[in-house]
Amino acid sequence: MKGLTQLEKWEPKIVAFLCNWCSYAGADLAGTSRLQYPPNIRIIRVPCSGRINPLYIITALMEGADGVMVSGCHPGDCHYLSGNLFARRRFVVLKKLLQTCGLDPERVQFTWVSASEGGRFADVIKEVTENVKKVGPSEVANCGSKEAQA
Amino acid sequence: MIYEEMTNNIRSVCEKLLNSNDVEVIVAYRGGGVEGMQIPYFAKTPEDVQNIEWGDRCYQNIAPYVHGLSKKVGILAKPCDARILTQYITEQQIKRDDVYIIGVDCVGMVDENGDPRPGCPDCMVRKPPIYDEYIKDDRVDSLDLSPPASEDGGLEANFERFRKEIDKCIMCYACRQACYGCYCKTCFIDRDLPDWQPAEIDAGTKMTFHMGRTMHLAGRCVECGACEASCESGVNVRYIIKEVTKFIEDEYGYSAGMDPEQVPALLVNKFDDREVGFLGGETHG
Ligand code: SF4
Ligand code: SF4
Ligand code: SF4
Ligand code: FES
Repeated sequence: MKGLTQLEKWEPKIVAFLCNWCSYAGADLAGTSRLQYPPNIRIIRVPCSGRINPLYIITALMEGADGVMVSGCHPGDCHYLSGNLFARRRFVVLKKLLQTCGLDPERVQFTWVSASEGGRFADVIKEVTENVKKVGPSEVANCGSKEAQA
Repeated sequence: MIYEEMTNNIRSVCEKLLNSNDVEVIVAYRGGGVEGMQIPYFAKTPEDVQNIEWGDRCYQNIAPYVHGLSKKVGILAKPCDARILTQYITEQQIKRDDVYIIGVDCVGMVDENGDPRPGCPDCMVRKPPIYDEYIKDDRVDSLDLSPPASEDGGLEANFERFRKEIDKCIMCYACRQACYGCYCKTCFIDRDLPDWQPAEIDAGTKMTFHMGRTMHLAGRCVECGACEASCESGVNVRYIIKEVTKFIEDEYGYSAGMDPEQVPALLVNKFDDREVGFLGGETHG
């Protein structure tokens, strides 16, 4: 790695919240199909995209994540029927909140991946990682508690 | 003087109401007590109504006094208080029949020094959206109201502004206590499972508090300005709530506290909602 600047060496940390019924299964499929995707994501499985409290996303950013990705079942396919539709409004509003607070909304990416879309999952991770790389290290990286960052 | 005339109208409405024994108490304002301020007052007997006063210093939100009450009360409600009552009804905190609302028009309140109260200059709702009895102020019809401009100065400037405000915050929670909408028995920031507030209070914790509170007020803020006015450290993060409120009005056509029958924006699920800023940005439907 000699000769690289700090920024070139930098790899983003991305937290991915995946719903159990579609997106987590999609991630699984990507894995069992041995599809390649960037290793920047740390997956957290949640029951439904509707279970994701916006505070999870905010806290992830404050505690050192450079990006957060959230994925659930496609609209119409949610295991709990409408969890993702409620979530969608919350996420749209959260993006506006991030913009107003000066945290780049591109850090937080929402999408839908179904259980059969292993290929799409890999593509989405590539896209998210690229997007977060473009945005650079988090504005709030030095705001959270030291303990949380360790 | 217009306020004297209005006060007299309010007093006679209240007197009738208390005489009829329909309500046990009327929440209103009275003068004196604190200089330059009209303070909350609870009128219980027909004689009490002589103490009721209406003016341009009735800026305290008195609607939160009826939160969770189950007996019938009367309440004097300027537009922001009426919007708060509407929100309480939508959020099933009170029943419509449990409040007798004396709605009053409002041209804006001033503080102890005669300066406009935070929230008032930009307020777009000068007539109470719900009421049982209505007290008019002709001056509201000639007010020149224009919606406040967006304060989005671009990402970098936004961050700097947020950071600057946050640095002043001492996490005293006065803003939360002043807000009608913050009636949770245990606020998220006071929880220890999960612990949103680590022992050491740093900028991140403060940002989390204000961003979390904004999400909780998203689509519920009635723009009364109480949070901003209550901050002794001079923190103003209400512009953030304002931007989000405006966004929800534009995107989902919902303004808090205007119609007790309308479902709040974030409690609606629609298959064909737009997906602003989503990956791929696809729209279903
Ligand atoms: S913004 Fe002001 S009122 Fe609110 S917690 Fe911070 S210091 Fe207290
Ligand atoms: S957030 Fe502030 S302006 Fe909005 S309702 Fe609460 S106290 Fe009023
Ligand atoms: S900030 Fe949120 S959790 Fe805390 S009292 Fe207000 S609405 Fe409730
Ligand atoms: S279960 Fe997948 S989004 Fe609800």
